[in-house]
Amino acid sequence: MTKFRAVVKREYVQRVRSRMFVIVTVGAPLMFALFTVVPILIANIKTGGPTRVAVVDESGRMFARVRDSLKSAQPARDDDDDEAPAAAQGAMNQNTRARMEQAAKAAAQSFEVEEVPAGGGTPEEVRARLDGRVGRDELNGYLVLPRDVLSGGEVQFYTRNVGDVFTRGQVRGAVVRAVRDARLDERGVNAEVMRAVNQPVRMKTAKAGGGGETDRGQGFFLVFGAGFVIYLTILMYGQVVLGAVIEEKETRIAEILFSSIRPFTLMTGKLVGVSLVALTQFAIWGLALVGLGAYFAGRGASVAIPQVSLGVYACVVLFFLMGYFIYATLYALVGSMVTTSQEGGQLGMPIILLLVVGFYLAFPVIRSPNSSFAVWVSLVPFFAPITMLIRIVSQEPPAWQIALSLGLGFATVAAMLWLAGRVYRVGMLMYGKRATIPEVLKWMRQP
Amino acid sequence: MSEQQPTLRIEGVTKRFGEFTAVDSLSLTVRAGRIFGLLGPNGAGKTTTIRMIVGITRPDEGTLELFGQPVTPELQNRIGYLPEERGLYKRMRVGDQLKFFAELKGFSGRAADEALDRWFEKVKLSDWKRRKASELSKGMQQKVQFIAAVLHDPDLLILDEPFSGLDPVNVELLKDLVLELKEAGKTIIFSTHQMEVAERVCDDICLVNRSRKVLSGSIREVKSGFGRNAVALRFEGDDGVLEDTRLVASVERHSDDLEALLAPGADAQELLGRLLAAGARVSRFELVEPSLHDIFIEKVGGE
Repeated sequence: MTKFRAVVKREYVQRVRSRMFVIVTVGAPLMFALFTVVPILIANIKTGGPTRVAVVDESGRMFARVRDSLKSAQPARDDDDDEAPAAAQGAMNQNTRARMEQAAKAAAQSFEVEEVPAGGGTPEEVRARLDGRVGRDELNGYLVLPRDVLSGGEVQFYTRNVGDVFTRGQVRGAVVRAVRDARLDERGVNAEVMRAVNQPVRMKTAKAGGGGETDRGQGFFLVFGAGFVIYLTILMYGQVVLGAVIEEKETRIAEILFSSIRPFTLMTGKLVGVSLVALTQFAIWGLALVGLGAYFAGRGASVAIPQVSLGVYACVVLFFLMGYFIYATLYALVGSMVTTSQEGGQLGMPIILLLVVGFYLAFPVIRSPNSSFAVWVSLVPFFAPITMLIRIVSQEPPAWQIALSLGLGFATVAAMLWLAGRVYRVGMLMYGKRATIPEVLKWMRQP
Repeated sequence: MSEQQPTLRIEGVTKRFGEFTAVDSLSLTVRAGRIFGLLGPNGAGKTTTIRMIVGITRPDEGTLELFGQPVTPELQNRIGYLPEERGLYKRMRVGDQLKFFAELKGFSGRAADEALDRWFEKVKLSDWKRRKASELSKGMQQKVQFIAAVLHDPDLLILDEPFSGLDPVNVELLKDLVLELKEAGKTIIFSTHQMEVAERVCDDICLVNRSRKVLSGSIREVKSGFGRNAVALRFEGDDGVLEDTRLVASVERHSDDLEALLAPGADAQELLGRLLAAGARVSRFELVEPSLHDIFIEKVGGE
């Protein structure tokens, strides 16, 4: 047991102290942030001051409304026409959209609005003049409100930068509000009624039978994120185990080690040591997340800290460990069969394939978490770490299914350890050539 | 350490890998406090035998007894092993990994730290303790590997080709350390195919070839039992006596002297008498023991 501990300790200390660990631990969240936050920030970078917009009001009575509406600019909600029905795209999409809107709100820009009389020439001349000013950067863009704007005439927005979706959205929102108000006003609806009509409708999605607690998709986000992180982490640490085993074989350290410790003890020690490194990394990320959440909450920002029960967190850890041990054991087996890292990479490909299949199976399971397909898939040990987690968060499956999945999974871990141990014992001392499958099968049968 | 009890006793041990028999009913005894040479050409079964002694593999037949007990994992802690194929963790500090290897032998804590410093001093590597293995030269790495084998103060030390690839200065250094360990009462099994080295350090030897034991015993016994008598000769005069095949089996001529291999049963005294009687002026007449090298060539190369 003390020898087992020595192996675990070496594996853990060496890896946690390594530069690679620091890079991944710090780098991964940074990368994540880079890919989610930075695009929004970049999209929001506003060069210069307020957006200068000229309005050519051919109808002659809309300018004031449009100006006021622009001045009190609110983020665009294109919900009634442009956007496809969100339901089909799943909660992820809603989440992204919410983020975009939030970002747009943060970037709510101010407008400088000026009126350009429509009578100053033919419409073409007016436009040519305004185009010129836009070209000289005196204006960011101009609006042309047609005479029949209230009865469906098309409003034109000419702008230097057609790709600036935020400005476009805000201008559009302002025009829509102004025109709607004008239409209602025209039909004698008073302002009070208008405000009441315009009151936004809010909808909240909560899990049925969830005790009324609010869940705005964070649970889902958590599990999807967790699934992805688990998938990547299993892959990454599986490769670590592969590399560690190959190192000891390549350098022939195995020979010294085997003269001091039983091969099975050594192998399991390595697996456990590396798993602790992975858990340490999770813990650091988790604490950082909670810390950041608290920091932002303290500053009044509304940061969604996933509200999921402790049971779910426990499941995340359990299913991660199960997946890790299944795949890392496979990697240990492969590592003891090959002679170089290159060979290890080649022979490891099927393992990656298996993992990828498990990851993609997540999508049909997300769509219908309680279908019999989902149930079966979440019981298969190789896929359960991701698929069962998704079921747990989306629509809690019966406890017996979770228990069965865990039971099957850890039974598989035990069986794999036993098999891998037999191959490892012989393979680690076989130098010079890669072991063949028949040889490996023979080693497994050897007493 | 009792003198009576052998450190290692191997009885009729056989190890097969599929069709191939790597070790064939081998028996040998290693006495405590001696340096035992396990000699033989490459592929003779030396490494397989050693692997069975250190508990990496188990024999298919026969028994192995260490310190008077059947081999168990616990006994592994009393063995130090320097394999022929050896390595270190490249990215780990050498001091740390030596402590790790010692810990796997159940030796840790303050005592281990002190022993580590002592050994680093002995092999003149004190300044390198905190360096990573990849920064060390090959010879230094080999000395570190040697420390890995002896750090936990084993009663039985097994060295498989310990000097291969070392420069003469370091060969002398390690050889002295090995002899020092012997003085301290340790038993050492020394596997090599370099007969010159074996001849200088071993007390007892066992020669194996093609999975079988060819001969064994103390160096003295082996040499005298080899039944080969050679005479180194330098003389001026008639050398007709050397043609007598009842007396001289063969003659090997060197630059200024020659070596005459006596025929079986022939007496060196008779040869000297005949030479003198023939009027030769003898300036050198020396009975030469066969070297281990000669024995090796004869026993192994002749087959």
